[in-house]
Amino acid sequence: MYDINRAESAVTQQDIKISARNVQVYYGDTHAIKDVNVEILDKTVTAFIGPSGCGKSTFLRCINRMNDTIDIARIEGQIRLDGEDIYDRRVDPVQLRAKVGMVFQKPNPFPKSIYDNVAYGPRIHGLARNKTELDEIVEKSLRGSALWNEVKDRLDEPGTGLSGGQQQRLCIARAVATAPEVLLMDEPCSALDPIATGQVEELIDQLRSEYSVVIVTHSMQQAARVSQKTAFFHLGNLVEYGETDDIFTKPQDSRTEAYISGRIG
Amino acid sequence: MPLSWALLASLLLAVAGYLIGRSRAFAVAGSDIRSLHSRPIYHGASVALMTLTPAIIVMIAASLLRMAKALSPEAVGLVGLLALAAGIAGLGWGITRIGAGYQARNVVERIVMGVLIFCSSIAILTTAGIVLSLIFETGHFFQKYNWLDFFLGTEWTPRFQGNSALGILPLLWGTLYISLIALLVAVPIGMFAAIYMSEYASKRVRGIAKPAIEVLAGIPTIVYGLFALITVGPMLRDYFAQPLGLGNSGSSVLTAGLVMGIMLIPFVSSLSDDIINAVPQSMRDGALGLGSTPSETIRQVVLPAALPGVVGAVLLAASRAIGETMIVVLGAGAAAKLGLNPFEAMTTITVKIVSQLTGDNDFAAPETLVAFALGLTLFVITLGLNIVALYIVRKYREQYE
Ligand SMILES: Nc1ncnc2c1ncn2[C@@H]1O[C@H](COP(=O)(O)OP(=O)(O)O)[C@@H](O)[C@H]1O
Ligand SMILES: [Mg+2]
Repeated sequence: MYDINRAESAVTQQDIKISARNVQVYYGDTHAIKDVNVEILDKTVTAFIGPSGCGKSTFLRCINRMNDTIDIARIEGQIRLDGEDIYDRRVDPVQLRAKVGMVFQKPNPFPKSIYDNVAYGPRIHGLARNKTELDEIVEKSLRGSALWNEVKDRLDEPGTGLSGGQQQRLCIARAVATAPEVLLMDEPCSALDPIATGQVEELIDQLRSEYSVVIVTHSMQQAARVSQKTAFFHLGNLVEYGETDDIFTKPQDSRTEAYISGRIG
Repeated sequence: MPLSWALLASLLLAVAGYLIGRSRAFAVAGSDIRSLHSRPIYHGASVALMTLTPAIIVMIAASLLRMAKALSPEAVGLVGLLALAAGIAGLGWGITRIGAGYQARNVVERIVMGVLIFCSSIAILTTAGIVLSLIFETGHFFQKYNWLDFFLGTEWTPRFQGNSALGILPLLWGTLYISLIALLVAVPIGMFAAIYMSEYASKRVRGIAKPAIEVLAGIPTIVYGLFALITVGPMLRDYFAQPLGLGNSGSSVLTAGLVMGIMLIPFVSSLSDDIINAVPQSMRDGALGLGSTPSETIRQVVLPAALPGVVGAVLLAASRAIGETMIVVLGAGAAAKLGLNPFEAMTTITVKIVSQLTGDNDFAAPETLVAFALGLTLFVITLGLNIVALYIVRKYREQYE
């Protein structure tokens, strides 16, 4: 199934959604991201791989300006979303984050009902004019994250009562409900068992038809399964970026080769 | 021999026991230290504890007997000797037990556990003792005064000639009224301060402002009382009560309530701060990542998650407000009254307990004994609040573990 999708994606001409130019990130004196240039395509799953501590999460968090919430973080360079510099002073990071959704490593549903978890984004951004519309958004998002059938009869139970995999899909539904254009996922499966991981991976593949998805993963198998593009980070550098198949079959850089053959990381 | 000497002597014995025990253990082990079950220091410690424990038990038992008047003061010298003898016996017994197979480490563990249990039971027994003595005296009071008149009476006019009206309601009302005002001041200010500290303030501001707020907690309540008496009271009277025609009393419910509220601010803010910080960062990240502003994040995610804990903090603050005395004496006066005007003087249960027990008192008169009934009532109220608060706080803790 994945192969067919990948074949299709190779032939379609795709737009550039996000483009990063000479991005540097510092945490105090630590230089965590060094001169990264990358172009991320629309309607594509892009995987960030690399040994832990190499800056994958840091770079991901630049794309929705979550690093702004860390006092000591400092970002230089340019990141454009649809051609617009997101670090421009006129850009409101709060609004940006509505457009660039994020799913975190550990499922973090709010201590609210399942319904209220999903309705959270639409409510604060006024996406629904009335209860019926809100109901529709919630149902659509839960269906979109393959959770609807499991929770439709208990929407008012707390989201924290679901299993780990369900919680993570709830968090994906919550992000999708805000109608983002880009979905960032930071190791979304690392806290999940293999079955839940399979479900989330399947979901990611479906999300590709509507969003540009960027996923950080420490599992090369996962990157190979879900992504069309792969970026390999090492010690804060973007070492290699290209078609997922190429990265895994004929890596250009010796560090990439060492990593995918298990010699570093 | 005075007890202090006996204590010192047994301490010296214990030190000696430690050294002897340790060196005997080394001697027993010979060249292979691993043939011992426990390391030599445990052998030493077990001898020391076996010396000290019997000596101290003898001393405590003697003190208890003396409190119960079963032992004459002259017997004290004997007790000291007895304690020392017990210590020496323990020492001897401890030394004889040392051997390769002796599980000194486990023995020490058990003795340590015993000491810990002993200390916890002291705390519990003291509480029980206090409550029992309160209940006992309250029983006396209710033999002399109808309990219905006490709980439902709206008059508080103690007269030492007898024929007093001792209704708790005016005092209870004053207590609750003043506490309510105090909470209305302390809870919003304390909470908002805590929210600012934990969610907005930079590290530097936090480093200065937090200790500054906590200084408030270190001020003795009598100093707050003086502040109420000479500053807040006259100010409220001159700028609010008199112009508004609401009275001209320097001491008032509002004065005491405001000042007590100020006293409680650091209490509420440091508890809320802990509770807000216990909400996982991932919760905030989740909300911010969906495009909420910081204040939306706090209102819709952090506070609801922290709410049970905050309610617990408020209840704990309430039980402190209810028990406060000095600020009320100096701020609200001593007139027992049932009224709504916050600019009038009123008083609370604690103040009346003090005034019924100071001066010449006759512990058979209901006017004196009523203090115990008041105390017990207060105890039951604050105990109830604390239990509810602890229950809520504990429930909330479980949520994230
Ligand atoms: N909040 C932070 N404060 C200081 N240093 C950080 C912070 N977050 C990450 N770092 C540092 O930045 C580097 C990259 O971290 P990260 O992006 O989390 O790596 P990855 O996600 O690839 O494992 C690491 O050296 C890490 O120690
Ligand atoms: Mg990471």
